[in-house]
Amino acid sequence: MSKNDSNKSNEIDQYTRNVLQNGLSRRSFLTRAAMGTGAVAFTGLTGSMATASTDDCVKTAKSSDGGATLEFMPKPKPISDRDIVSTQTFDVVVVGAGASGVPAALSAAENGAKVAVLQKQAIVVSQGNTGSGIDLANSDKAAVEAMVNRLMGDSAHRCHPELVREWAYNSGEAVSWVIDRAKKGGAQIVDQGTKVQHGIHGVTEHKLNFVTSYCGPKPYTTGDGMRALAKVAEKAGVKFFFNMPAQQLVQDDSGKVIGVIAQDRDGKYHKYMAKKGVILSSGDYQNNEAMCNFFIPDLKNFERKQMDRTGDGFSMAYWAGGVIEPIGHTKMLHDFDAGPASMCDMPFLAVNRKGERFVNETVAMSLMNNYLRDEENAGHYSQVFDANYMEQAANWPGKLYSPEQMKIYMPEDPSPKIGVYESQINTYSANTLEELAVKLECDPKTFVANVKRYNELCKTGKDDDFGKPSAKMLPVVKAPFYGIHRRMRISTLCSGMLVDKNHQALDADGNKIGGLFVIGNLGGGFYGGVDYPLTVFGLSLGRCYTFGYLAGKYVAKL
Amino acid sequence: MKKLTLRNIMLCLALSFFASSAMADKTTLLDQTHAAKGLKCASCHGNAEQREAVTMTKCIKCHNTEKLAKKTKDVKPTNPHENRHFGTETDCAKCHNVHQKSENYCGSCHLRFDFVVP
Repeated sequence: MSKNDSNKSNEIDQYTRNVLQNGLSRRSFLTRAAMGTGAVAFTGLTGSMATASTDDCVKTAKSSDGGATLEFMPKPKPISDRDIVSTQTFDVVVVGAGASGVPAALSAAENGAKVAVLQKQAIVVSQGNTGSGIDLANSDKAAVEAMVNRLMGDSAHRCHPELVREWAYNSGEAVSWVIDRAKKGGAQIVDQGTKVQHGIHGVTEHKLNFVTSYCGPKPYTTGDGMRALAKVAEKAGVKFFFNMPAQQLVQDDSGKVIGVIAQDRDGKYHKYMAKKGVILSSGDYQNNEAMCNFFIPDLKNFERKQMDRTGDGFSMAYWAGGVIEPIGHTKMLHDFDAGPASMCDMPFLAVNRKGERFVNETVAMSLMNNYLRDEENAGHYSQVFDANYMEQAANWPGKLYSPEQMKIYMPEDPSPKIGVYESQINTYSANTLEELAVKLECDPKTFVANVKRYNELCKTGKDDDFGKPSAKMLPVVKAPFYGIHRRMRISTLCSGMLVDKNHQALDADGNKIGGLFVIGNLGGGFYGGVDYPLTVFGLSLGRCYTFGYLAGKYVAKL
Repeated sequence: MKKLTLRNIMLCLALSFFASSAMADKTTLLDQTHAAKGLKCASCHGNAEQREAVTMTKCIKCHNTEKLAKKTKDVKPTNPHENRHFGTETDCAKCHNVHQKSENYCGSCHLRFDFVVP
């Protein structure tokens, strides 16, 4: 075991300790396999690791406590030097051009580094519209800490407080920087401030303000915004290599990461040496079935929103000695496109794909997928309300769209579809419940029976079926009837590699892996709950921007 | 290899029947379309006995992706050859099959993207 404690912080925090003990690394895999053959147990980081593994246990157990293996991620043979057709040297090599990679590259370049970006696709790729940070100058520290506390609660208290604070105390600066630079590249990006943060009410009684960057309106997205930012990065000297998926990291004898080997479309290998460091920002693994089944079995029946997210960065970092957070990763499933986003958490009657009421509708949309994991529902449900909704739901959290405003979400309405994704809108109106059921793809009989039952409960004011408060029991009685058919699909997965507060990867002993940094949705420690929370709209992109900005600067200054 | 041999026979048959006729029929598979233009199996699969799998780089030797995207820019509801996932470089094989019927890959996520894929 390495005696090199100089890299290690004196005291290991709980989060890091847990990932070191239960996470997946090549060392834990190899050691656990050895344990199964009766070999003497190894001494873990703290010397207190459980060692009671037996043959039986290894044969039958398939969990993270000793039986779990990533045998579907075997370390490939190193690509040999004679197969390399070109070698170039940079200070910083960024793998993945998205919402964290592009800011990281620009930030590194602005801090004097010579930067290369390797991108699998032919273009910069990113999703979403909103990326948020805390406006520190206009917030009380007690409020910032209350926000941190709430986010830790949202993540089931399983995240790394230090990383959440890295976001909290740097995000305002980072998001403002992204807005400024992206505008220079011609991006359609604005600061919407605090007023759009509907979810933060009740978090604190003190002053709390936000920088809320918004790339839009749809179909314009952060993808377009990041493509504009990449132009600014190119002007600053960053070299982009497209259609150039990274394959392997190059390590020296000490294990330090000193470069990346990528493969072009003709199958030829190119080497990109990194004098200061490699930043991995290649996103999640939603299109890698084996990884999904292993880390988040809940995902089996949900549709994927993205393509080509095969977890390449996970594999490379893991092969280099990195530690993947234990099984039970955080996922993000929502649908802001079928109907108005600001009505997504309004507790109207909700029915599943058959037409049955299935939940207390005060459950947030971000959690709804948990009730719809089976093959038949596969994340589909519909919000149902009637002609009285504008008056009766006027005081509900969020913002109501009038029937006239809602037409942009209705594929059957001939009005021009502006500010929406036309191929994702999914809102309907009908004069009878049967007709609405058909449009929502529910069984009409089941649907009508469930609406009737719900209306009876509304009359009594007591929700005997699911316990929803009476103030939220709006009957569905007056035509026209409305339905928003939402599809919970996988936007991203947001757990990842164990890193320290400077986004440097740690190995199974808790030591820093020289030259290896991990950001964006590939970075671990920022979440920890079952689902990504929607308390701060745009937290995900805000975190990507912020950690890109910070990591780029940090690595450039090494 | 047996399968391929069978395909070769089919191809030869197809060639002898259709070589001189226009291939506008929608049910025509793309191997016939290619054969009609004079391409041989080896043009895509190579000469080696173990036939090579065909990657997109083979396709783009003849099909310029940017020109193709321009050609389909007015296709409704959207241009399938220029999108926010892959720009103009979507892997041809995601939609276009050569030895079997092609598929509308976009339609599985995007409602009302009812492309008819040759």
